[in-house]
Amino acid sequence: MDFKLTEEQELVKQNMREFAQKYVDPIAAEIDESGRFPAEVVAKLGEMGYMGMPYPVQYGGAGTDYLTYALAVEELSKSCAATGFTMSVHTSLALGPINNFGSEEQKKKFLPPLCQGKHLGAFALTEPGAGTDVSAATTTAVLDGDEYVLNGTKTFTSNGPVADTFVTFAWTDKSAGSKGMSAFIVPKDASGLRVGEHFMKMGIRASQTSEIIFKDCRIPKANLLGGEGSGMKIAMNCFDHGRIGIAAQAVGIAQAAMEESIAYAKERVQFGKPISKQQAVQWWIADMATDIDCARFLYMRAAWLKDQGLPFTKEASMAKVFGAEMCMKHSIKAVQIHGGYGYIKGQKVERLMRDAKITEIYEGTSEAQRMVIANNMLR
Amino acid sequence: MTGVWILAENLETGRELITIGRTLADNIKSDLTVITWQSELSQEYIAYGADKVLLLPALPQDQPLQSYIPVIAEQARQDMPEIFLLTSSLLGKEMAARIAGQLNAGLGSECTALRWIESEAALEMDRLFYGGAAVQSIRCSHAPRMATVAPRSYSPASRQEDKRGTIDELPAPQPSPVKLLERNARSQAAGDISEAKVVVCIGRGFMKQDDLDLARQLAEALGGEIACTRPISQDMGWLPEDLCIGLSAKKVKPDLYIGLGVSGQIQHLTGIRDARIIVAVNQDASAPIFAAADYGIVGDLYEVVPRLMQALSK
Amino acid sequence: MPDILCCYKWVADEAYIRSGSGGDLDLSMADYKISDYDKNAIEEAVLLAEQHGGTAAVITVGLPDDTKGIKDALSRGPEKAYFINDPAFVDLEPAQTASLLAAAIASPIPYDIIICGEGSSDLYAQQVGPRLAEKLGIPCLCYVQKVELNGSELIAHRKSDEGLEVVKVSLPVLLTVVPDINNPRLPGLRDTLAAGKKPVVEFTAEDLPSIDTAALATTATKAATIKRNSRLFDADAAGIEELVQELKNSGAIA
Repeated sequence: MDFKLTEEQELVKQNMREFAQKYVDPIAAEIDESGRFPAEVVAKLGEMGYMGMPYPVQYGGAGTDYLTYALAVEELSKSCAATGFTMSVHTSLALGPINNFGSEEQKKKFLPPLCQGKHLGAFALTEPGAGTDVSAATTTAVLDGDEYVLNGTKTFTSNGPVADTFVTFAWTDKSAGSKGMSAFIVPKDASGLRVGEHFMKMGIRASQTSEIIFKDCRIPKANLLGGEGSGMKIAMNCFDHGRIGIAAQAVGIAQAAMEESIAYAKERVQFGKPISKQQAVQWWIADMATDIDCARFLYMRAAWLKDQGLPFTKEASMAKVFGAEMCMKHSIKAVQIHGGYGYIKGQKVERLMRDAKITEIYEGTSEAQRMVIANNMLR
Repeated sequence: MTGVWILAENLETGRELITIGRTLADNIKSDLTVITWQSELSQEYIAYGADKVLLLPALPQDQPLQSYIPVIAEQARQDMPEIFLLTSSLLGKEMAARIAGQLNAGLGSECTALRWIESEAALEMDRLFYGGAAVQSIRCSHAPRMATVAPRSYSPASRQEDKRGTIDELPAPQPSPVKLLERNARSQAAGDISEAKVVVCIGRGFMKQDDLDLARQLAEALGGEIACTRPISQDMGWLPEDLCIGLSAKKVKPDLYIGLGVSGQIQHLTGIRDARIIVAVNQDASAPIFAAADYGIVGDLYEVVPRLMQALSK
Repeated sequence: MPDILCCYKWVADEAYIRSGSGGDLDLSMADYKISDYDKNAIEEAVLLAEQHGGTAAVITVGLPDDTKGIKDALSRGPEKAYFINDPAFVDLEPAQTASLLAAAIASPIPYDIIICGEGSSDLYAQQVGPRLAEKLGIPCLCYVQKVELNGSELIAHRKSDEGLEVVKVSLPVLLTVVPDINNPRLPGLRDTLAAGKKPVVEFTAEDLPSIDTAALATTATKAATIKRNSRLFDADAAGIEELVQELKNSGAIA
C-alpha cells in the first residue's frame, strides 16, 4: 500500500496550482459574475499541455495516467470550478470516446487539435425528455448515401456554445433497444447544426451550456463512432471515467471552501477571540478535512483502478456521489462559518456553494450513482 | 588581537555600527577600528567613538568599491579581528560574504541584534529567516566573527569632542577584473519610500493601471508616497521596482502605512514591520494583512478610498 | 557558446510555517520548493543559453531524497543536473554549501557563467554565491538585474545602494540575480514529464573533500509574530470617519 504520489504527479499538481493562481484566481469572481467564457485561459491551458492529458502523445496528448489528470482537475477547480469543469468535460466526455472508440483515422483527424486546446470538445447526450433515462432520447440518425442525417434537440450541452467538436448520440435503430443507439462526431460547422438557447446557471456560470439543435444535420458516414449500435456502450464508458473528473472537481471546490473557512475563522473575532476557538467551528473544520480526504482517496482509487486496467465503474460512482454530497454539505458550512459575509457576492464561499450543487446533478445524479453502486452490490 | 572592526560605508550607518561596535569592544575589553574609504570622515569616526581608523586609498574612476575586498580581507587575515561588522546594505552584504569566503569566517547576515556571550567567547546574532516568518539566534565562537547589521537596528553613536584615535592607511588594491562603466543614481522622479512618513501601498486589488491614480490622490492628500507589492512591479510592471516593498526590495518605516488591496504575503509584511501604524483595506476578510494591521476595513477599495478622501478633507 | 551553471536550493515553503507550542518553529506541514529567487536564476541561465546557443545546467546540494527538486529544476529548461547529496547534508550553513559546490565544480564541471539567486527564501543569508566565487577565484557580480553577453565579455546592470551600476567583466564570472531580472516561466505539462528523462550527475560526500565544521551554532529559532491589534472599521462613511478620527488621535495624520 502506497499513499505517495509520484514526483511527476506532485509537480503537475504544483504547476497547475501556480497556473491557477496566476491566470484563474484573478478572474474567477469576474467570470462567475458575468458568465463570460474564459477563452484566454482555456487557450493557455491548451498551450501548457493540459487539454488532453491522459491521451497518447502520438495524438497530441501528454500521455499521463488518469490519476495525474484528475489531480490537475482538482487543483484547477479549487480556483474556479467552471474552468475545471470545462477542462474535465472536454477531456473526459469529448476526447474520451474518440480516443477509446474512434478508428485510427478518426483519432488522427480529431484528437490533435482537441488535445492541444485549439479545438474545444462537447458531449451532447441529454435531451429535454431524457436525462438519467438515456433511452428516452428521441434524436435520430438516418444513413443517406455517404452521410448520416441527424434530427433532434440536445439540451444542457456543456461547452455547447463554444465547442468545435461534438460527440453526440442518436437512434439509428430505435427498434433494437439499447443496441440501436449510435455515437457520432459532429464538427460545429456541419450543416444543420445550430446552437439553441444559452442557459443561465446558478453556479459554474463561466462554463457555457446550451441547447444543440440538429435539423437535417448532415455529417459524413466516416464520423460514426465505434460502429452502429454502440452508442449506449460508449455513453456508459464515458460516464465511468467522467465521474472521476467530477469527483476531483468536487474535492477541489470543497478544499477551497475549507481553506477559506480556516483563514476566516482564524481572523474573525467574536466574543473577544477568533471564532476558530469555538468548538462548533472546530468540529465543522474537522469534519470538512476528514470528508475531503475520504473523497480524495475515493477518486484517487477509482483513477488508480482505471490506470491499472481494472474495473472501476462502482468505485467511480462511489467517488462521485460521496465527493459531490460532501462538497455540497461543506460548502454550505463554509458559508455558515463566514456568517453574513459569506452571503455577500464577491466572497469566494458564496460562489463555491452555488458551484457545489451541480456536482450532485451532472454526469449522473447522486441517485443515478446509487443505482450503479446498488446494482454492483446486489447482483 | 585587534578587537572589533567595522566597515563604515557612510556616516549614518557608520555611526550605528559604532554604537554596537563600541559596546562589543568594551565587552571584550578591546579597541574599535573603523575601516573607511572616505578620508574626509576619518576624524569624524574617531570623534564618534573609533579608537583607530584604517583608511583605504581612493579608487580610480573605473573601479567599483568591491575592488577593496582583497585588501580588507588580507588585512583581516593579518590582524585577525575578534569581531568584524558591516552594515547590511547591498554593498555591505556582498563585501561581508566575499571577505568571509576568503577568510572561512562565520557570518551572520542582516542581524537585528548582537550580543557578546562571555562564557563561550561567542558573538550571538539575532536575524529573521523564512521571509520574516521566523527568527533565529546564531552564535559564532571563532575569530573573525562576522555580521552584517540591519540599518536602524542601533541608534547612531554621539559625538565626543575629546575622543582621540589613530589613522592608518591601507595599501591600494590591485586593479579589479570588474570595470565600472556607469554609475546612475536612482531617478528622483519618485520619492524615496524608505524615508517617507506616509506610505500608500498598491496591491493586487487594483484592477488596472489607470486606477492607480486613486492611490496617488490618497498619497498626495496625506503628503506621502505611493509604493507597491511585488506582483505590481514585477508581474504587472505597473510601477518601478524602486517602489516595491518587501524582503528583497525596500523596507519602510513610516508613521502610517495604508495597504490598498494588499493581501499581505510574509515577504511584504517583513518590509512594513517597522511602520508605526498599519491600515489595511481589502475585500477579502481572510487576507493575512489584517492580522498584521492596527486598523482594517473589509471592503472594496474602489469605494473605500473615495470615502476616505472625503473624510480626510473634512 | 557559454556553458551556464545555475545553483538552486530546495527549501521548505515559508507559507506552511506554523508556530508550534511555545512559539517554536513547526515545519512538519511544510512542502518543499525551489527557493523563489533561484527560479529567476534558472530562468536567466536558460534564457542566456537560448540566446547564445550555450548550455544550461543546474547544480544543488541537498539530501538524497530531494529528487523532486531536481525534476522541478529540469522542467524549467536546463538540460542537465548535478546533484551533490548525502544524508549528512542537513542544515548546512552557507560556507559549507559553498565549499561543496566549489569542490564539485572543480571536479571539473564546465562553466563560463555561474548564476545564483540573490538569496535563499529560507535563510536569505545571501552568502553562497559570493562565497562560491571566492572559493573558485572568479569575479563576482551581485544583485544583477540585466545581463548582456558579447562573446567572452559580459556587461551587467546591477542594483547598488545608490541606484544602478553598469559593469563589464570577462568570463568566467559568477552572478547573483534579483527577481526583477525576468519572469520565470511556468513549466508546461510536457516539460514536467520530460524532466525525469534528463541526465543527472550525482556527487556524494565520498566523492568530495570533507566539509569544514560549522562556524555557526543555532541557539534558538522561533516563529516571528507580526501581529497587531487589527481593529476593524465598517466600510461605510461612518466607519471610515471613525477610522480617520482614530488616526488623528494617534498622531499618524495631522
